[in-house]
Amino acid sequence: MQPVHRMAVSSWLKARSPWLAVLACLTLAPAFLNKFYLGLMVQVFILAVFALSYDLLMGYSGILSFGHAMFFGSGAYVVGLLLKGAAWPLYAALPIIIVAAALMGVLVGIVTLRVRGVYFAMITLAFAEVIYILSASSQLRPWTGGDEGLHGIPVPAWMSPTAERVTFYYISLSFLVLMYFLARRIVNSPTGRVLIAVRENESRAATIGYNVFWYKVLIIVISGVLAALAGGLNALYFRNATPEVLGVGRTIDALLMTIIGGMGTLIGPVLGAVVIRVLGNYLADWFGPRWPLVFGLIFVALVMFFPWGIVGTVGRLKPALRSFIKSECGLQAGKEGGQKASRISDNPEEH
Amino acid sequence: MTLETLVNICLQGLTMGMLFFLIASGLSLIFGLMDVLNFAHGSFFMIGAYVAWATFDGTAAIVPFSDLRFAVGLVAGALAGGGVGALTEWGLIRPLYKRPIFQILMTLGLAYVFTEVIKVLWGASGHSMARPESLSRAVDFLGRPFPAYRLFIIALGLAILLVVYVLLQRSRLGMIIRAGVENGEMVQALGINVRRVFTLVFTLGAALAALGGAAAAPFVGVYPEIGLEYQLSAFVVVVIGGMGSFAGSAAASILVGLARAFADYQLSPLVAQAIIVTVMAVVLLLKPEGIFGAKKGGGL
Repeated sequence: MQPVHRMAVSSWLKARSPWLAVLACLTLAPAFLNKFYLGLMVQVFILAVFALSYDLLMGYSGILSFGHAMFFGSGAYVVGLLLKGAAWPLYAALPIIIVAAALMGVLVGIVTLRVRGVYFAMITLAFAEVIYILSASSQLRPWTGGDEGLHGIPVPAWMSPTAERVTFYYISLSFLVLMYFLARRIVNSPTGRVLIAVRENESRAATIGYNVFWYKVLIIVISGVLAALAGGLNALYFRNATPEVLGVGRTIDALLMTIIGGMGTLIGPVLGAVVIRVLGNYLADWFGPRWPLVFGLIFVALVMFFPWGIVGTVGRLKPALRSFIKSECGLQAGKEGGQKASRISDNPEEH
Repeated sequence: MTLETLVNICLQGLTMGMLFFLIASGLSLIFGLMDVLNFAHGSFFMIGAYVAWATFDGTAAIVPFSDLRFAVGLVAGALAGGGVGALTEWGLIRPLYKRPIFQILMTLGLAYVFTEVIKVLWGASGHSMARPESLSRAVDFLGRPFPAYRLFIIALGLAILLVVYVLLQRSRLGMIIRAGVENGEMVQALGINVRRVFTLVFTLGAALAALGGAAAAPFVGVYPEIGLEYQLSAFVVVVIGGMGSFAGSAAASILVGLARAFADYQLSPLVAQAIIVTVMAVVLLLKPEGIFGAKKGGGL
């Protein structure tokens, strides 16, 4: 009954037109949005990169880490320590973020990948918790500011998040776009394919001859660097680095965004970040201090009923949607009976 | 360090060890039997603590005997924890046995939800709980006063240890549980409804953790983070003791409790916590099956 839809190769632009439209809207947004909403968008972009990096681990490589906040937080603290403590310029701090996160990734990877599954989740949680505890400890107060963290990080005047918010907006937007394409490139590369194979069946991938261990270390490093960069930008935006950015709550945020959007889809976590931050903003208005509870309940419901998230659900409903759209088109052509018939034929496909 | 200080620290360590034991034993059994690493286990501890505190304080106007109110609080706390545990396993964990990763995500999400519910019910800040009258004095121990309440926790912990040990070693249910830890599929093949045993063990583990929380409430107060905090210690205990090993978690609890007490005495509690978590990481790396090594690896 249904003809197969094929995308013509020449219509590259047409196929990507929704995304180009979204990008155009985001580029023009500063003309329409006030400072508050621009700030909200900046936070969405930062969280989106963080979620994206988590998806590389959980969604694509099947590595369940409960300590991802340590990368995000370390990026924030590197920015805080270097810019505020050592008065470094920003461009010099940038490579340090990357190097620090990469080193941490190698270390965490080499040490923790000796165990698997739940043990890996526990050990990463433990590592993150140790770093969190150290960041908040009073012994390190002269450097890290203890449980209050570092405040008033100096940000270059040209990208000040308050005075030059539009500039900051464009910086974080380009950051997200860049990181998204980088992540996509990685996922679609031969390395990315191996990682997916590892996720699907680790021993098979190893039997074929891939060194699974180093592939996993590699993806931990890459995802760690992405998360740390997001954390660094976060520190620049809020001008602070507090122990909270290293806490379990951050990891749960990443998990939430990834699950809400859809694991292993890359664009899903980005949507998840939009949902979390924008919806969170409204939920905070509606429910006041109780909004985290509402959030937690949404998470539980998602895990239970929509484990494949927004993108996954849409993907599964696509055939049903398509035939629905077709029936609407058929209606436009003037056949009244077409609607009823196709509505009925929709039903079996909906599940 | 004088002898008295040493004894004091040891008793302190035993007290903490018993609290760790109450939460870790359930965690370990649940993992051993069902392969569910319950990230919400600390929540039961928290629920027990809050319910005990609420019962104790809430009935103050009606019942003048603080000892009675305390006893009722302990039972109420354990029952509440067990009840929530049973509902959790039956309603939220059972449907996910075919999706292990989501099971972990579920328990992590539940830990978050339970904490938020507690915050909604009783506020985000902590409360302190008075000790019952007969346990609020100090007992002379080698010439130094030692709070009677800590001795009570130690006694309670030992009693529970004994009861659970006898239950595991001498009862039919205990036999099924031990067999289930060893080889769940075989037990099922022998015609035993393993799912029902799962619910039972989950409930029992949750009730034990809640009892621990109820006993801890007058000792450390109640606050929303109490669950995650003690859960982290329980993870350390379970890892060192070996997943699924009851005797292992008992021994490791006392070990970790003592280590904490000595570290707290010498260093700040935060650093002590960090060091002990590091010890866990090292044990995990060198001997993932635990020092008192029990069983299979923790594959998902």
